[in-house]
Amino acid sequence: MDALTPRRLRLINQICWTLALCVAAIPFLFPFIWMVSSGLKSANEIFGSPSIVPRAWQWQNFVEVFSYQPFARQYFNSLYIALTVTAATLLVSSLAGYALARLRFAGSALIGLFLVSALMVPEEVTILPNFFMMRRVGFIDSHWPLILLPVFGPQGIMATFLMRQYFMAVPRELEEAGKMDGLSRFGVWWRIAVPLSRPALAAVAIITFLNSWNLFLEPLIFVSSLEKFTLPLALSNFTDPYGAPLWHLQLAATTLAVVPILIVYVIAQRQIVESFALSGVKG
Amino acid sequence: MDHAKKTRPLTISRLLPIARSETAGHGARRAGAPVLAALALMLAGSPAWASELRFTIWTGNEAHLKMLNGFAEGFKAVRPGVTVKFETIPPADYTQKLTFQIAGGNPPDIGWLMEDAAPTFANARVLEDLAPVLNAKKDYDFADFSRPALGLWTNGARVHGVPFSTSPFVMFYNKDMFDKAGLEDPLALAAKGQWNMTTFQDVAKKLTVANGRFGFEFKDGQGYESRIMHGLMPPIRAYGGDAWANKECGLDKPNAIAAVQQLHDMVFKDKSIVPPGERGDFFSGNAGMTINQISRASIMANAAFKWGIAPLPTGPSGESPVIGQAGIVVFAAGKQKQLAAEFVAFVTNKQNVAVAAQFFPPARASVLASNDFVNSNKLIPPEQMRVVADAIVKGKVLPSHDKSPQILAAMKPRVDALWRAEANVERSLRAVCAAIQPLL
Amino acid sequence: MGQPATMAARAQRNDAPWLTLKMREAMEAWLFLSPTLAGFLIFFVAPLVAVLGYSLTEWNLLSQQATFVGLANYDDALMRNADFWHVARNSAVFALGLVPLNMALALLLALALSGRFRGVVVFRTIFFAPVVTSAAAWAIVWKFQLQGEAGFINQVLAGIGITGPNWLREPNWAMAAVIVTRVIKMVGLNMILYIAALQAIPRDYDAAARLEGASGLQIFRMITWPLLGPTTLVIMVITTIGSFKVFDHIYLMTGGGPENGTLVLAFYIYQQGFEFFNVGYASALAMIMFVIVMALTVVQLALRRKDT
Repeated sequence: MDALTPRRLRLINQICWTLALCVAAIPFLFPFIWMVSSGLKSANEIFGSPSIVPRAWQWQNFVEVFSYQPFARQYFNSLYIALTVTAATLLVSSLAGYALARLRFAGSALIGLFLVSALMVPEEVTILPNFFMMRRVGFIDSHWPLILLPVFGPQGIMATFLMRQYFMAVPRELEEAGKMDGLSRFGVWWRIAVPLSRPALAAVAIITFLNSWNLFLEPLIFVSSLEKFTLPLALSNFTDPYGAPLWHLQLAATTLAVVPILIVYVIAQRQIVESFALSGVKG
Repeated sequence: MDHAKKTRPLTISRLLPIARSETAGHGARRAGAPVLAALALMLAGSPAWASELRFTIWTGNEAHLKMLNGFAEGFKAVRPGVTVKFETIPPADYTQKLTFQIAGGNPPDIGWLMEDAAPTFANARVLEDLAPVLNAKKDYDFADFSRPALGLWTNGARVHGVPFSTSPFVMFYNKDMFDKAGLEDPLALAAKGQWNMTTFQDVAKKLTVANGRFGFEFKDGQGYESRIMHGLMPPIRAYGGDAWANKECGLDKPNAIAAVQQLHDMVFKDKSIVPPGERGDFFSGNAGMTINQISRASIMANAAFKWGIAPLPTGPSGESPVIGQAGIVVFAAGKQKQLAAEFVAFVTNKQNVAVAAQFFPPARASVLASNDFVNSNKLIPPEQMRVVADAIVKGKVLPSHDKSPQILAAMKPRVDALWRAEANVERSLRAVCAAIQPLL
Repeated sequence: MGQPATMAARAQRNDAPWLTLKMREAMEAWLFLSPTLAGFLIFFVAPLVAVLGYSLTEWNLLSQQATFVGLANYDDALMRNADFWHVARNSAVFALGLVPLNMALALLLALALSGRFRGVVVFRTIFFAPVVTSAAAWAIVWKFQLQGEAGFINQVLAGIGITGPNWLREPNWAMAAVIVTRVIKMVGLNMILYIAALQAIPRDYDAAARLEGASGLQIFRMITWPLLGPTTLVIMVITTIGSFKVFDHIYLMTGGGPENGTLVLAFYIYQQGFEFFNVGYASALAMIMFVIVMALTVVQLALRRKDT
């Protein structure tokens, strides 16, 4: 029959797949839509009406979010901490990654093995001693732990291995040429190896930034002043003075925390997804 | 790994020119400078003046802060040059965050403390004894504080803290919903002596049917989660029971079982109480009644319905008001304990307690007896404020224990099991007692 | 560009003639590695030793009083306290539920999205979007969707005539709910890894098999799946470790409840250490967790070695 030409069959097949994927996409997409919509509703309407389009658009939720707690400050905290962690991680991990990939020295394999072991250990295991250490140096209720622990913790070590993997793929000839030109080891690293591994640096930067931006356990434990909070902590914090949650503000704030990242993600989607692929391949 | 191999040839050819890398390097350095500057800015806290007291509170409410800052201003007249910095820690994690500050070697000088944390903190010896300072002040009159209100805060001659909010639980009701159902409201019933646990169940059911909204909501909808005690204690006390007394669990005693059985029936048979996992929210008009602390009335200013407050329904053992309490404490690890204790004495002297009474119900007998108190709350008419004053004098503070966190955590899973439609109330409460008895 | 010139001069001069090239390279390596190694020692090795020490004490976080109690905390956790085994079981259930579900879904999505067709990028973007979202935001939003009657899930179910359970109030459903919402959050990552691996499989394998008349399913079983082996193992290791680390998701969605039904090891450590102030007991739990995760990883890596 005419209807079953291979071409049509493929078309039908494709439509079925697309439909199935659309259905599968609902639980991935719906939370975002609901979040934005509820952030624009009044507290009553969030519970009262399941409609996605708000009855009365409560734009003032997004204003109130900032007067209810120092949300702008908390936003800035998250941003500058994430940027600092990212910059420090890039520096530290590319140095170490380069040494592990390129330089020959006794114990290199052993060091690698030691570092890998840190990747396996959940933060919860070391959080208590780290708490006491931070107390000793007076870093409680400051941002130092939120910067130091990710840079030197499992996150930073993963970045080191990612960099190492990438440096190993950089052709040695280029570096040899650099040496001929009289570059020191540091010069070779900075002027040749680092520029050549921009994709890996981008991957490390993206993953580190997101991890810092979304960090929860460390801020929960180390930070207690409102104006030092970071976003994930601030989100669950929209309550009235007696602890009852103010859902409309919470959801408006959540929207403000999530949407910019989503926009950046959609714009740079290819690069971001590739970065994660690269990191996973490393393990 | 396959992926890495795949990307390699692509990217290297793209990134070869070294000249480009140089500009990238400079770019990074330029971008780094502001980051570092910002970092330095962030990390340099304000210098600690010897004369600044840190005072942790859980309210961020502007009116509350205005009043507190007013006290700090007033204190300058007594102790010139001393400033007080009020630090808001969100209520949800207040005790937790306070613990982190103390354990983290960064204790505030003064802080609010909730009743359930008081024995834990006192027992860990992190609270300073205030008795010497309070007794040294001639016009302070510590004896003015009502005895029952001091139970949590004193131990022999030691004073761990001074109560600043002694807030009774009262019944808030939505007058509009009662009118729609054609029912007498709780205050009217109370006046006739008919406001008891039986009529409570009855009106809750009728409200639900007539309004299509729940008749009753546990405190802030958190009665199944973070406020188990606040949900259970008023009815249990009305039935003459208690959570524990003299190191013995009371939840599996007949009167407690009867009280909880009634609540269970109301949730699952009458369906008149907002059930677990649902949201009713009295304050936005979605439930007919709620038992909450009087301090909560402050958010009723914007209520879109007529409302009132009434005493808690009486039970088989008569009236039994329940009180939630908070005190002001000085931390033993602080560096300015003497000064801090003086500020506590100042804030809790007669004049200032009278001022604070507009938000935080007082524990001073002289203030409670005054007409000023009955007229102090702009939202609540005097006859209803008398309900409050009465409850403070007669009330009993919520049960507390130095192992409160563990006890509550041990209770939680068993109470979760209780709040299921098919649960056997008696058996569930036995399980609760079995779990907490070793901790008592 | 004066700099390279001076450097060249210096290199020719060789500042330190007593150093062999080999020693010099080793020194440079240690120099490059020093920040990482210092951090590793300070924030990983030292704490690990410390936590072992703490685990032998009874130590109150608030009063800061510690006494040496030997192995009592381990005895307590492993022998006396029924809570620990309940928590260990929960962690196992969480991992056993999450890892296979996550991997199966990731593979399925990858198979559907590794090809090229209109809209493929849109779908990949959608499935990956939760990965870049903070767990805090994700948990807050899903908590609403899982409410008893008003929640989106149960309204959809009601639409087709099913009365859904009160998800976060029944221990078993709550565990299922945290697993599934976590899978939805994280599956995009594994999907991407599988897509990368699938795209690396040379097309001629596929074509050759088709010429010999193999069905799609046969191709998958005989060619694709074996070739995905290394990726599958890597994904398994990452996902398993990840499943033990989960804290924020549980903290915000269920707080370990109901009936301790979602109380997992990571959360239990936090609770004991920071809510009940039992530093010693929490440290013993941390050591136990460390041993479990290490053991699992070693087993998985051994499998990997055998495989390749």
